[in-house]
Amino acid sequence: MTQAPTMLANPAPVDRPQACDVQTQGLGKSIDGRLILDNITFTAQRCAITALLGPNGAGKSTLLHILATLTAHTTGTLTLFGKPVARRTADLRARIGMIGHQPMLYRDLTAMENLVFFGKLHGVANPRNRAKELLDRVALAHRSDDPAGTFSRGMVQRLSIARALVHEPTLLLADEPFAGLDLPSTYTIEALLTQLADEGATVVMTNHDVAQSLRLAKRVVVLRKGTVAWTGEADMGELERVQREILGT
Amino acid sequence: MRLKSCRLTAGFWAITLAMFMAGVVMVFAYTPVEKTMGPVQKVFYLHLPVAINTFLACVVVFVASVGYLWKRTQAWDDLALAACKTAVLLCSVVLLTGMIWGRSAWGAWWTWSPRLTFSLLLWLLYVVYLVIRPAIESPQRRALVSAVYGLVAFLDVPLVYLSVKLMPQDIHPASIALEPQMKTTLLFWFLPVTLLNIGLIALGYAVQRKRTLIEQSRGKRSVHDTSTPLAGDAA
Amino acid sequence: MTPAIKQFVTLVGKDLRIEARSRQTLGLVCVLGVLILVVLGLGLGRETVRSGAASTAALWVAYLFGGVLTFEKTMAVERQDSALAGLLMAPVDRGVLYLAKLTSNLLLMAVLAVVVTLVGVLLLSFDLGAAPLGFIVIITLGMVGFASVGTLFAAAVSSTRLQGGLLALVIFPICLPLVIASTRMMVNLFETRVGEPASSLGGSGLAILIAFDAIYLVTSWLVFELLLEP
Repeated sequence: MTQAPTMLANPAPVDRPQACDVQTQGLGKSIDGRLILDNITFTAQRCAITALLGPNGAGKSTLLHILATLTAHTTGTLTLFGKPVARRTADLRARIGMIGHQPMLYRDLTAMENLVFFGKLHGVANPRNRAKELLDRVALAHRSDDPAGTFSRGMVQRLSIARALVHEPTLLLADEPFAGLDLPSTYTIEALLTQLADEGATVVMTNHDVAQSLRLAKRVVVLRKGTVAWTGEADMGELERVQREILGT
Repeated sequence: MRLKSCRLTAGFWAITLAMFMAGVVMVFAYTPVEKTMGPVQKVFYLHLPVAINTFLACVVVFVASVGYLWKRTQAWDDLALAACKTAVLLCSVVLLTGMIWGRSAWGAWWTWSPRLTFSLLLWLLYVVYLVIRPAIESPQRRALVSAVYGLVAFLDVPLVYLSVKLMPQDIHPASIALEPQMKTTLLFWFLPVTLLNIGLIALGYAVQRKRTLIEQSRGKRSVHDTSTPLAGDAA
Repeated sequence: MTPAIKQFVTLVGKDLRIEARSRQTLGLVCVLGVLILVVLGLGLGRETVRSGAASTAALWVAYLFGGVLTFEKTMAVERQDSALAGLLMAPVDRGVLYLAKLTSNLLLMAVLAVVVTLVGVLLLSFDLGAAPLGFIVIITLGMVGFASVGTLFAAAVSSTRLQGGLLALVIFPICLPLVIASTRMMVNLFETRVGEPASSLGGSGLAILIAFDAIYLVTSWLVFELLLEP
């Protein structure tokens, strides 16, 4: 049997699936006296998808930016890969991949050029090979020489994921990865994220679709008004409960 | 407590006003009329102290801008804005008195004399600070961009000063010998003008602080604003 | 090559590649520059424009407005689709990001300067041959200072959704010392040569240009990071 191609060139050893690469303890963020996030305590396990749910403005995106070390938190502690994050550090960031609302790509560059460019910035040893590998995985090899600007929404999102994985991160942060996708693209992305988690990555995503999150994720964290309203195992039986928590009723 | 600060404020403005009146009396009753310029020379007692105070207000803008970049609290931004408004106001006075002076000394309201040009460029530099602010929606972003501008603009002041000296000088400022009474009056005028400068900045700060707090409490009520700078464009 | 230099080359190469592919900046900027020269040439009239002072001033106006448009465009590329966020996720020093963007802007402005100056020689009978070396020195120093301020504020302004005009409003007052110093020096070079010994660059003007460049290169390099991630 041939080995299936993997997204991560060197998948993390799956010996400690319970290990938590993301831990927050009483995490808070205030911007000029206004509390955006307050007392956030949760963990995200390796080899699993953790879903952050909540209404608009609950602080999900801000939390994701803090996890990405792009924004500094103001109180509490954030532990990534077992190390407390004090100042924004580039070496931690090198192990994190991020997908945002926006594709974070240059539309005038081809898919290949985009990936090679970000690969070079990350210091990937052989960016061209890595890019080819990833384009294969996200099923865009046939369009590798077309500008990203000519891609459909679903293709852009796939390319965006490839971009986020170019430096083989062990933590993938996804901000609304399914927003605006049609059904086939949604399934492709779902499969990609699940496979990543199976290969040993930690995946944290925000999402609006509660049922989908419960299906994909292992754990669910519900945020409301900047605090953790509920957290628990993702179980389809909890669907109504989670929905009530999000609505705050 | 409140009453006390009210009284202090009232006392401060009363003293400032009294000083101004004393200054006016000194100008007209105490100092002699200058021979070549005539009574128009008296505008000089206002002109120089205000010019120096314009610069002091610019220093406050600079310090407050650096303070904001360091501490990231809105109060510094409020102070910078108040100081900038005062600087522009005082600089306008400098420009006007300078033009009155020029009109009587050289017969033209505007001459591109280095000093007058310097005042104009300084005025432009700080007016821009005020006009770009409303164009930026997010309060944090506005404060940040303003602070960077406040910092960069202050570094520009010495460069502007040096560069206007390169301009062709066909007009030489009429130098006048100050008599002792004139010197005393000029020195005295520094008092009310400096007090006015401090008072205006403090007043502007208090007003702006109140406005910011209202804006913030409004923001709090309308749930949490999650638009972080990165996602800001998408929202 | 150290990683930082490699990243720098990668970043500049990316900007140039995007420009080569879309040609959206240079075409626009050069046409704008030529248009400005034409408008000023028509407005000033044939006789005025032949004086060195008028033609150098006209050239500067064209460089400045073309430059502002360049800064806006090259930064818009980063803001579109939040590509900048992707850059920020990479372990790149923010100072390198600034220097790379500054270099891209300067390269584009060099092309703009060549086009505009040649058109100026043609249309305004600008006498470049009188002091070509001095001209290049002044223009280079002027552009470096102008671009160092422009690159900084382009990052500030492009994220506020209010681009047109606002950037010029912010940059021009700050760059006035630069404009005064360089136009004075140009006038010295191109106007006083009749009957007089070859004029020098003028030490104090040069000193102001160099001081301006140094102050704003360092300040912008330090402050740029704040405008990217507040």
